[in-house]
Amino acid sequence: MTPDPIPAQPVATLECRNCGAGAPVDEHFCPQCSRILALGRHGDYFSFFGLPRRLVIDQAQLERRFRDLSRQFHPDYFYNAAATERLASLERSSYLNDAYRALRNPISRIEHLLAIEGLPPAKSEGPSSSGQVASKVPPGLLEEVFELNEQLDEIRESRESGGDPAALRERLESARKPIDLKREEHERKVEALSAQWDRQAMASPAEKRATLDALRERLLERNYINNLLASIDREAQSLEPKAESRG
Amino acid sequence: MGKVVGIDLGTTNSLVAYVRDGVPQVIRDASGDGLVPSVVSLGEDGTFFVGREAQRRLLTAPSRSVYSVKRFMGRGIDDVRGEAELLPFRVGGEAGGVVRIGLDDREFTPPEISAFVLRELKQRAEDHFREQGEFDFEVDRAVITVPAYFNDAQRTATRDAGRLAGLEVLRIVNEPTAASLAYGLDRRDRGIIAVYDLGGGTFDISILKVEDGVFQVLATNGDTHLGGDDIDRLLVELVLRESGGSSRPAGDIQAIRKAVIAAKHDLTDVEETEIRLETLDYRRRITRGEFEQLIRPLVERTIQPVRQALADAGLEPAEVDEAVLVGGSTRVPFVRRIVSELFGRTPHSELNPDEVVALGAAVQADILISGRREMLLLDVTPLSLGIETMGGVVSKIILRNSTIPASGREMFTTGVDNQTSVDIHVLQGERELANDCRSLARFKLRGIPPMPAGLPRIEVRFQIDANGILSVAASELRTNIAQTIEVKPSYGLTDQEVERMLIESFEHAQADIEARLLIEARNEGESVITATEKTLRRPDFPEIAAADLQPGEHEKIQSALDALKQVMGGADRDAVRDLTHALNHATQHLAEVMMNRGVREALAGKNVKDV
Repeated sequence: MTPDPIPAQPVATLECRNCGAGAPVDEHFCPQCSRILALGRHGDYFSFFGLPRRLVIDQAQLERRFRDLSRQFHPDYFYNAAATERLASLERSSYLNDAYRALRNPISRIEHLLAIEGLPPAKSEGPSSSGQVASKVPPGLLEEVFELNEQLDEIRESRESGGDPAALRERLESARKPIDLKREEHERKVEALSAQWDRQAMASPAEKRATLDALRERLLERNYINNLLASIDREAQSLEPKAESRG
Repeated sequence: MGKVVGIDLGTTNSLVAYVRDGVPQVIRDASGDGLVPSVVSLGEDGTFFVGREAQRRLLTAPSRSVYSVKRFMGRGIDDVRGEAELLPFRVGGEAGGVVRIGLDDREFTPPEISAFVLRELKQRAEDHFREQGEFDFEVDRAVITVPAYFNDAQRTATRDAGRLAGLEVLRIVNEPTAASLAYGLDRRDRGIIAVYDLGGGTFDISILKVEDGVFQVLATNGDTHLGGDDIDRLLVELVLRESGGSSRPAGDIQAIRKAVIAAKHDLTDVEETEIRLETLDYRRRITRGEFEQLIRPLVERTIQPVRQALADAGLEPAEVDEAVLVGGSTRVPFVRRIVSELFGRTPHSELNPDEVVALGAAVQADILISGRREMLLLDVTPLSLGIETMGGVVSKIILRNSTIPASGREMFTTGVDNQTSVDIHVLQGERELANDCRSLARFKLRGIPPMPAGLPRIEVRFQIDANGILSVAASELRTNIAQTIEVKPSYGLTDQEVERMLIESFEHAQADIEARLLIEARNEGESVITATEKTLRRPDFPEIAAADLQPGEHEKIQSALDALKQVMGGADRDAVRDLTHALNHATQHLAEVMMNRGVREALAGKNVKDV
C-alpha cells in the first residue's frame, strides 16, 4: 500500500465474514482466506484505489488501476461463489465505479477531497440548511459581474425594442471576453492550488486547511463563472434568427 | 448442471449460440438455418407453432399469429395504442397495466409470448447437444441480449420471459456490447469502437474503449422503436395508398408485408425491383433511389443518438478507430452510407450482422460459467435514474452512462410530526420534470419511528446490477431500523416519449432549467414560510420568545416573512431566492432554539418509552 500522507488516521480493521480474520479497511480480499471482503466500513475513493490523497493524478495509471480492480471483483467472476461473496462483489464493483467516476475528473476529485477532509460542499445555488447565504458574488469577480449585468441589461432592452441582432450578437461576444479570461485564469489557479496541495503532505494542519479553503472558494467561483457563461448563452439564444421572427 | 447458451431474442428473428472449444458458434437446424423467426401462432386445435411454421401462418391465420412482440415487452397499453393499428392480432390490457395480446379467446402478456420463442431455442439447442452424443444435453441457463437502450421494465420483462421458458437468466447483456465481444475475439487490439446496431425494431449506438481485454462502454444511446419494422411499415403504407383503400383484411396486409420485405431485400443487391401481389392485382417497379427517399427520414433519426453518444463519451467522430455494423437493417446500402459519413470511415461487417449478437452472448455465458478472466465487459446504464421531489422536479441519483453495477443514495425525511411512511416515485429519463420522464415504480417506505417532522434520516439506496436492473433498500439512520418497501411498477409513459424526451431535453434544456430553478426557489421559500409560521403559531411561542429571543427579533422575522410571501406567487426567481435567504437568516437563531427544544423533547419521549 502507498503510505497515506494524512497522519493521525486511526488504523481501522474489517472482519472477514468468511474466516473471521481482521483485514485493513482498504484491503479488498482477506489476507487469511483470500475471499473477497464485504464493503462494510471503508476509507475513501483515494485509499480504495491505493492512491495517496493527491490532486494531480496520472490518468493512464488511474485507468489501468480501474481495469485491474474491475478484473479482481466484477460480479462476472463471482457467479459460482457464495451469496455473501456475490453481494460483496456487487457492492465493491459499484463502489469502484463510483470512485473512478469521481477521481478521473479533476473537479469532482477536488470535491471528494473536500468532503473527506470535512469541508462543506461547494454549492452556489440555494441556501444551505444552516441558513447561510452561499450565493454571494465571489470578491474576485465583483467588477466583471457588475459590468456584465449592465451589458446584458442593455442588450436585452435593445433586443426587445427591435435592435439589430447582428450588432447585438457582436456586443454580446465582447461582453463575454472578460468572463472567458476569468475562466482561464480560474483554471490556472485551480491547477496551481492542486499542485500546492500535493506538495503539502508534510505541512501543518493550518497550512493544509488554508489550501483546502482556497480550493473550496475556487469551486464556488467556478459555479458562479459557469452560471455567468450560461446566462450569456441564454441571451445569445434569444438573439438567434428563429427567436427573432417570433417577435 | 446442464448446458449454458447465449440467446439473441430479436424483434424479427432469434438465435441461440454456444462456445465449443473456445469458439462461439450458432446452433442451426438441419437445413443450416440459424434464424428462428420470433413469431408465435396459436393453432386451431390449441397447439402452438413457433418460428418458420408460425411465420407461414401469418398469411393463413393472421389473427392467431403474433410477431414483433419485443416491441411490447415491459410496456403498458397506454404506451402502444398508436402502433397496434396495423397489427393483425389483438393488443389490449387495462389502463395502467401491462399489454395483453389476444389470440382466439386467450390472452397472453409479452413475456409469455417471448417465452414460446425461448423454449423453441432451448429445444433446438438440446436437440443439437443430443445429436452430438452429449450425455448431459439439458439447457437450463442462458445469457439473453436486449437493446442497450432498454429501460428497467423492458429488461425485467425479458428476464421474466427467460424464467417462463425454464431458463435461469445468468445475465442480461446489451446487444451492441455483445457484438463487440464477438468482434473482439478475433481482433485483440485496443482502441475506440463504435457499434451501430439497427435491427428489426430497435436502434442502438454504443461507443466502447477496448484495452487489455476489457471492453468498457463509454456511452450508449438509441431508440427502442426504430428498425426494419418501420421500414416495412412505410412500404406497406405505400402499397395500401396506391392500391386504393387502407382498410383491408389482415391476411391481405400480411401478404403485402411479405412482398415488400422481399423487395427491400432485393434492393440491397440490385438497383431496381418489383413489388408484385398477384392476389391483389398489384405490381409496381421500385428503384433503390425511390426506396432511399422513402426511408431517409427514418434512417436520419439515428444520427442524433450517434452524435449524443459521441458527445457523452467526450470524443470526436475522427477518434473512433473502428465502426461495426450489427443488425439485419445495416444491410441496407443507404444505412451503410450514413454510417460511413458519420464516422468518416468504412464500417466493419465481416461477421454476419444477424449472428454477431448471439455469438457475443455465448462468449459472455462462457465467461460467467468458466471464470475465464481474459475478457471483461463493463457496460453502462442508458438512462438516468432519479426520484421525484417537491414540485414535480426530478432529482437525479445515477446519471446515464454510469458504469454498472452502480449505486446511489438519497436522504429523505418527514414533513409532518409522527409521520410513519413516505412515498417515493422512481423515474428514468433525462428531463428535469417528473412528468417528462418514464415512471418506473412507486415505493412506500413504512415503519418510520414516530418523531417530530424533519428529524428522521431515511437513507434510500439504489443499486443497478450488472444486468442494468434496479433494486432499492432503505433504512432510518437514527434508529437503524430497516424500512419495508412496497413496489408498484408503473407504465406511465411511452418509450417514444422517453426517446423524444432525450432529444427534446437538449432542445428544452434551457426552458427546463428555468422552470426547475423557479420551482426549487419556490419550494425552498414555501418550506421556510411553513416552518416559520408553524413556530410563530405555537401556543408556547410567547413564552419561548420571552425566554430565548433578542428584543426586536420577533418583529424582524415577521417583516422578512411578509416580504417573502409578497413575491412567492411571482416568476421572479431571484427575488424569491433572495428573500428566502433573508428570512432564513432572520430565523436562524430561532431555528437553533427550536431544534434544541425538539431534540430535548424527542430524547425525553424516548427515555419514557425505554423505561
